[in-house]
Amino acid sequence: MTDATPNSTIEEAREGLRQFPPALGQEFESALEQVQPVLEPDELAQWLREGLDIARHSLRSWEAASEYYRASASVLEQITYERMRDWCAVGIELMETSPALSGALFRASPQVLPHLSVSQADDWAAQGKSLYKGTWKSGSLSAQYFDVSPQILPHLPLSQMRLLVDLIDSLASHSYELASACLGMAPGVLSQLDRSDRAPFLEFGGIVAHTAWVDARVYFERGPGALRQVSEQQRPRYLSLSGQVATQVGRLGHPYFIEAAQALSEVDKEIHEGLLELAEQLAEHSGDAAMEFIKSSPRVADRLGIDDIARWQAFGLNVLQQSRDGGEAFFRLESARGEEVMEALSSRVDLDRVSELIRMYCKALTGVDVGVKASEELTAKGVGWVDESSPTTEGTTIYLPENVERYPTKDENFAVYKVFATHQAGRLEFGSFDYQAAADPALFPASENGSSNGQPDQGGQAGSHGSALVSVQEDEGEIHTDMERFFDQFEDRRLAHDLFTIVEDTRIDTIVKREYAGVRRAFSRLQQAAIDRRRPIEDMPARQAMVENLLRASLDEVGRIRWPGELAEELRTPLRILNRIRQDGATVQDSAAATALLYNWLSQIPNMEMDSEDWSDFEQEMSGEPEAGDDSDMMPGSGSSGLEESFMPFMPGSEEQPYDSPDPVDFRGDFKPELVQLLMKLKGETGSGDAPPIPLTKEQLQELLEKSVEISINELMDMDLAESSGMFLDNLLKEVNQIQGERQEGQQAMGDDSTGAEDGAELPVEAQSFYYDEWDFRAADYKPRWCRVQEQRGESGTTNYYTETLHEHTQLVQETRKQFEMLRPEMFRKMKRLTDGEDYDLDAVIEWYTEKIAGGASETKLFYRRNKVDRDVAVAFLLDVSASTDEEIQKHHDQRQDDQFDDDPRKYLSWWAQRRAEAARHPGKRIIDLEKEAVVLLIEALETIGDKYGVYGFSGYGRDNVEFFVYKDMDEPFGDRIKERIDKIAPVRSTRMGPAIRHCIWKLQNTDAKVKILILLSDGRPQDHGYGRDRTEKEYAIHDTKMALTEARREGMVPFALTVDRAGHDYLKQMCQDMAYEVVADIESLPRRLPALYRRLTG
Amino acid sequence: MTTATEPITEYRSWAVEEFRLEEEPYYVPVADEVEVFEAAWNNKIPVLLKGPTGCGKTRFVEYMAYHLNRPLAVVRDGKTEIEAESNLPLVTVACHEDLTASDLVGRYLLEGNETVWIDGPLTRAVKAGAICYLDEVVEARKDTTVLIHPLTDHRRILPVEKKSQLLQARDGFLLVISFNPGYQSALKDLKQSTRQRFVAVEFDYPPRETEAEIVQHESGCSADVALNLAKMAEKIRNLREHGLAEGASTRLLIYAGRMIAQGVTPRRACQVSIVWPLTDDGEVQRSIEEVVSSIFED
Repeated sequence: MTDATPNSTIEEAREGLRQFPPALGQEFESALEQVQPVLEPDELAQWLREGLDIARHSLRSWEAASEYYRASASVLEQITYERMRDWCAVGIELMETSPALSGALFRASPQVLPHLSVSQADDWAAQGKSLYKGTWKSGSLSAQYFDVSPQILPHLPLSQMRLLVDLIDSLASHSYELASACLGMAPGVLSQLDRSDRAPFLEFGGIVAHTAWVDARVYFERGPGALRQVSEQQRPRYLSLSGQVATQVGRLGHPYFIEAAQALSEVDKEIHEGLLELAEQLAEHSGDAAMEFIKSSPRVADRLGIDDIARWQAFGLNVLQQSRDGGEAFFRLESARGEEVMEALSSRVDLDRVSELIRMYCKALTGVDVGVKASEELTAKGVGWVDESSPTTEGTTIYLPENVERYPTKDENFAVYKVFATHQAGRLEFGSFDYQAAADPALFPASENGSSNGQPDQGGQAGSHGSALVSVQEDEGEIHTDMERFFDQFEDRRLAHDLFTIVEDTRIDTIVKREYAGVRRAFSRLQQAAIDRRRPIEDMPARQAMVENLLRASLDEVGRIRWPGELAEELRTPLRILNRIRQDGATVQDSAAATALLYNWLSQIPNMEMDSEDWSDFEQEMSGEPEAGDDSDMMPGSGSSGLEESFMPFMPGSEEQPYDSPDPVDFRGDFKPELVQLLMKLKGETGSGDAPPIPLTKEQLQELLEKSVEISINELMDMDLAESSGMFLDNLLKEVNQIQGERQEGQQAMGDDSTGAEDGAELPVEAQSFYYDEWDFRAADYKPRWCRVQEQRGESGTTNYYTETLHEHTQLVQETRKQFEMLRPEMFRKMKRLTDGEDYDLDAVIEWYTEKIAGGASETKLFYRRNKVDRDVAVAFLLDVSASTDEEIQKHHDQRQDDQFDDDPRKYLSWWAQRRAEAARHPGKRIIDLEKEAVVLLIEALETIGDKYGVYGFSGYGRDNVEFFVYKDMDEPFGDRIKERIDKIAPVRSTRMGPAIRHCIWKLQNTDAKVKILILLSDGRPQDHGYGRDRTEKEYAIHDTKMALTEARREGMVPFALTVDRAGHDYLKQMCQDMAYEVVADIESLPRRLPALYRRLTG
Repeated sequence: MTTATEPITEYRSWAVEEFRLEEEPYYVPVADEVEVFEAAWNNKIPVLLKGPTGCGKTRFVEYMAYHLNRPLAVVRDGKTEIEAESNLPLVTVACHEDLTASDLVGRYLLEGNETVWIDGPLTRAVKAGAICYLDEVVEARKDTTVLIHPLTDHRRILPVEKKSQLLQARDGFLLVISFNPGYQSALKDLKQSTRQRFVAVEFDYPPRETEAEIVQHESGCSADVALNLAKMAEKIRNLREHGLAEGASTRLLIYAGRMIAQGVTPRRACQVSIVWPLTDDGEVQRSIEEVVSSIFED
């Protein structure tokens, strides 16, 4: 405190402040204490004056003054008083607007100053001020601005602050709460963003605030997270694209932003740039298309490289330019064209596109009904197979990987499938699973007791184990597969299994290549690729190396065999054994024999690392057939002193290592003969006739499981052994039972056909699914596989309904029957005036004769011929059984006039009672009842003329669930079952006509008739959940239905729409255009009308 | 012994009942069908040939007609000469749905001022003692059975209604009908009363080696190609009832063999002579083509 300071001024100020709350005075005192030492006296005087001016400015301005005092000291630490005055001038000016804001400004000043220069103060304050609209809400928002500024300015230069303020301002015009919340979040949000992303983020935010202000909060919450999914360098670009789109699409802009970012996270970051560039091109035409394009990109990128995506996009852009809706559907992948173009550009081959083709191919090769499915389906069953990507078979179905994308063209990739399928089909065709122990006298002599004759079972333990098993096999009721018995012969089951796999695959490959010369090239290519992937052999221990060499040899690539030169002789015999399996006529029995021989050799080779100076490649001749095909030299140790000894010198000091199986060969896939034989045995499919499936206890399976090397439990499931093996057994039994169940059902179904459906109740049949495209008239294209039609048999009731209906309409039935009988075709129609024919046409002869007598007859066309005319009609009736058919029909004539009762309440009461009783006896008829009646009458009529017909109903909810009920199928004979089902026709849900019509078309396509008619009987316009762009759009459904009817016409069918909706004319006109349709005005006449109509259509 | 009516013509024509095979038709017996047929002929029992299209039914009848001999009487210039043994004439009628009884028996035709009776092929065969082969008999109209029944039992009589005649069949006459149980609809099945008048010989496509031999002989392709064709046919026949109504016939294989012998590549030859004729279903076509391309390299 210096003397120069005029204490009087200070006193004056103190005096002046006394009129304000004491808190201000306290703030003043503490501020004074701090500023007095740093200010010059005149500066201090000014400071005192200014504080007082602020406090006195207006009613609440003392609060601002209090902030002024509080901030002064720390502000002065940062800038000179001179500058502080400039700074404060801004605050003081703000007083004019609102003292509260001014206070907020002073409050924020100390923390803001490090980020702002004094000259920016104006701008800063102006931005805050712009938020203030004179209301207290806007005031507090504005104050909040000053409050959060210190946290925002470190992340955002003041120049960009404008963007935030505009955004908040725009939000504030809708909701101050929202604006305030967003402003509060801003520091957190900005800090999460990269510096370069912040401005674009706010720019897009500004657009969101304009177009969809309610989304702003979500944008602040989720935006940064969403943005992180986009490649770093591309984020500003993505934001600006989003902004461009949002200005076009309005409210959808933000959801697009979130969803498309999500989609981008699913594709490789490398291609983000390319995708965005393509999307930007699209955005110029349609924002929707641009975003849909990005949203579809994961699925597209899964199939196409970026260059091909560009080609795909170009195609779609072309579509887009012609039709906006078409283009958007294209990029949504909801148009057939989009899929087609993608399919055409992609080199990948998907199993579901070729499975039917491959199935027929395999059926042709094998002659049995094999199925073709994705490998995943087999692994999902948990019955022992674990590899989802390799081809395999369990004896009845060939499992293949879901897609192949190995080579740059479709043809090459399909060839891969073909090789896979041919090899697996080969296993079935050439009997890989037909091994029979009994047919193997060498291994299983008639009197064998399980001892391994001549087997190298050195370990007595293992030997006794083997014999125990084989003797168990002889007990009655035990099941053991032949393959199991075979493997039981060997101590090291894994080695035996590996050898058997190599030998058998060699045999199959050889036969396949011999029999199917056409696939040789593709086969060799895959073999080559397989060999290129083999691991180096030099590091392997001896036995393993030998197995690896055998496997390489089996791939026709003996040139790649590597083996120590010193031990060349030891290699020769195994190769020769393997090669013998390539002979014409070799069977799986020979494979087994070869396996046994190889096992004998290999099990004597110590599995130790070899130390050789002379690793060399071996040539084809190595495996050549010896002069004499004598087996004796193939026995190990014959003549020589034993294999082990010849190897010993090259294994200095190494230890016996555990044996590992060689890497699998991809195109051969999994080979599990033991498991396949077990499954077949469990299913009762043993080659020997119709042996019933043998029940198997869990314990027996368990034992088998522990023994077999084909099932490695720990790979199967991530559980402890006991639990997972139990699970495996359950799965296995389930699989077997399921197949038996299917078979029984199949027999049942066959029984139906043959006996004409006499016996008992029908088994409920699982719904069958069919997929159909749907026509999107806006896109002028089909949405591929859009609807799922679930076909199911109608429920069964009793035959009473049918009989009663006939009884009720006796008169009508007789009438229609008579009319229909007249429809019955004349079997022959006479063709007259022919030069040649069955017989003379008497009229013509007489004419001719008279002319002749008159002297000028030349006409000799005197014959007639009767040409056969077949009535060959098939008709499908498609009933609308949607909920609306539940509506009761108003009976006008029941409306009595009051005056009929002469105001006599007794009369009225009795009439009323009568009516009640009547109603109880005959409840009001609903549309569906009339539909049913009409069907009954029609069936009666149809049966008299023998046309083929089917009666179907449809309903459903949503595109995935179009229910299609079969009351009578085309080829089903009429009988009690049909009557029972008609009884149960009942209203269900919505009306999605298109797919039901398409399914009917399919039914008719599979029916043989010259004239095919499709009659659609409905009660109103088509409508269903999601049948159109939004709930209100009716045109979409009508167009789809129209297209379905047009398709029927294209197939040469006659579609006819019949409706009982009196408002039907307008949309029917649109739906049917030049097709026939009818609106039945009087609903109750439907039962009479339908047969009449049918007569007209086919007469 | 056949007589061409015109000595110098580019075509030859025969009276229906005089057609005889001059050269031995190529036929490879698969089982004992030759013996069965011969025994039936000796005992005047009519024969029903069942089997899929193009498996050799017609060829078999020709083969039998050639091999069944009997003394032949030829009336020449009013004199009856007994010539040496001769093979049987063969009258073949392809039946269609408008084939009537009078088409088979005969009819009056107008010629100038008079009506002339013209014998139908069946009548001629009855008179000539020929083998009458009604191919695809179920296609014909039902009234033809009126004729078939009396001819096929012990009576061996053909009623000629319009002339009020009954014709007793000459020795050697044998009625042979063929029918393909595969593709006809239930309506076109042969009636029991008709079926049970015949001994039936069932045909199927020959086994692979035999078929290869046939294809090789008939088409002049190499043994390898023939064997591959036969193998392929076997595979395609596995698709019968699963997309295909009928398997590839031996006849088609021969066509393919001939195309190949002419220098068409095997894959292409199979496509035009087997795949496309067999089916119009795109997917099935593709499947068969894959089978073809698995078997043939180019």
